[in-house]
Amino acid sequence: MSTTESSTTGAAEATPAPRWAAALEGIEHRRVASADGLDTLEVAREHLHQLLAALKERAGFAMCTLVTAVDHYPATPRFALTHQLLSLEHSERIRVRCWLRDDDAHAPTCSDLWPGANWSERECFDMFGIRFDGHPDLRRLLMPQGYDHHPLRKEFPHAGIEPDRLYRQWDRQRRVGWSEEGAAQ
Amino acid sequence: MGSLESGSLRAVSGDASSGGPMAADASGSGFFATRADWLVNWGRKNSLWPMPLGLSCCGIELMAMIGPKFDLARFGAEAARFTPRQCDLLIVAGTLTWKMATAARTIYDQMPDPKWVIAMGVCSSSGGMYDSYAVVQGIDSIMPVDVYVPGCPPRPDAVIDAILKLQKKIEREAPVAKLLGLGAAERDERGTGKLVYQPNHGLSKGVLDKHPHDPKGKLGLRDPAPRKTENGKP
Repeated sequence: MSTTESSTTGAAEATPAPRWAAALEGIEHRRVASADGLDTLEVAREHLHQLLAALKERAGFAMCTLVTAVDHYPATPRFALTHQLLSLEHSERIRVRCWLRDDDAHAPTCSDLWPGANWSERECFDMFGIRFDGHPDLRRLLMPQGYDHHPLRKEFPHAGIEPDRLYRQWDRQRRVGWSEEGAAQ
Repeated sequence: MGSLESGSLRAVSGDASSGGPMAADASGSGFFATRADWLVNWGRKNSLWPMPLGLSCCGIELMAMIGPKFDLARFGAEAARFTPRQCDLLIVAGTLTWKMATAARTIYDQMPDPKWVIAMGVCSSSGGMYDSYAVVQGIDSIMPVDVYVPGCPPRPDAVIDAILKLQKKIEREAPVAKLLGLGAAERDERGTGKLVYQPNHGLSKGVLDKHPHDPKGKLGLRDPAPRKTENGKP
């Protein structure tokens, strides 16, 4: 985890140093092999924001196309928080992965670097329950506000957990409000 | 529809072939009420005002149905209005999610009586292929449905067929006889959807019996009674 790009291991070793390698000098990260051949970096949570900022400012990755997570339950650490970046200038993509533990699932936001990552992070929070520190408006994006569960976690059942609870609650409150008993309360 | 019932239905709908207006009234509603019912139903069924609730791809077929090629105007139901206050036919076209369900039910409640509902497509009829935590498994969970249209999405012809079936259903209603209390209310088949989830479940019966628009019971409105399911479970 503490090696710089000059001492990369595995499949990445045979390839020449990539264009963006110089931009990441001094930031702890690790270059790993990926099944789809996309350049992938793994980084600890403490250095995630620094790495992303360097990729944006010094390596030209001006666009954050995706912020999501992969649930590797029951492995530990469990969540692989994934950022995929695109450089329109150099026509390059890169993936940044950050492992998060179940009991400690939070990461720094990158919505200050790419405003478009705001909703991606909201979706990631909604689906996986990963909290983004410093996010300006971390509400659910897809599921209704007030829902208790995170549907893309592995333990979430296919049919859902009380999918109609919030609707029933709304329905009940509205009817009580229209009745005379409700009006008297 | 059994042959025994069809005799009385014809008498209500005023079909001349069954003996004309002087035919024996099997429903017991009397001459005036049956004639007035026929007239009211004739007006209602030939000027349905649809409220299009296009939620996914079914909405595209719905537009095609209203457009010139399939021409819903032939059946008097082409005047779609995007405010529920002016509509009496809710066409739920597409996948209804639980998050959208509150909005859909609000639209249904805002429509003035008499009102009918068509569930267009398998998603709104039964959840369709979305056997999922996010999707309502049939809109009859939250509102009564008159006609279900299968298809993914159904062709415009299928929805026109549903509207013709709904017109036949409207013919069998007895609004005037019901108003006069002539014992014809049981022919009112509106909203015969199975309503698996009881929309007001968990409430005391006194609250349940009250219609949201009629809390004092002066208008005789009430919510459709919860239907029983086959296995007793939702």
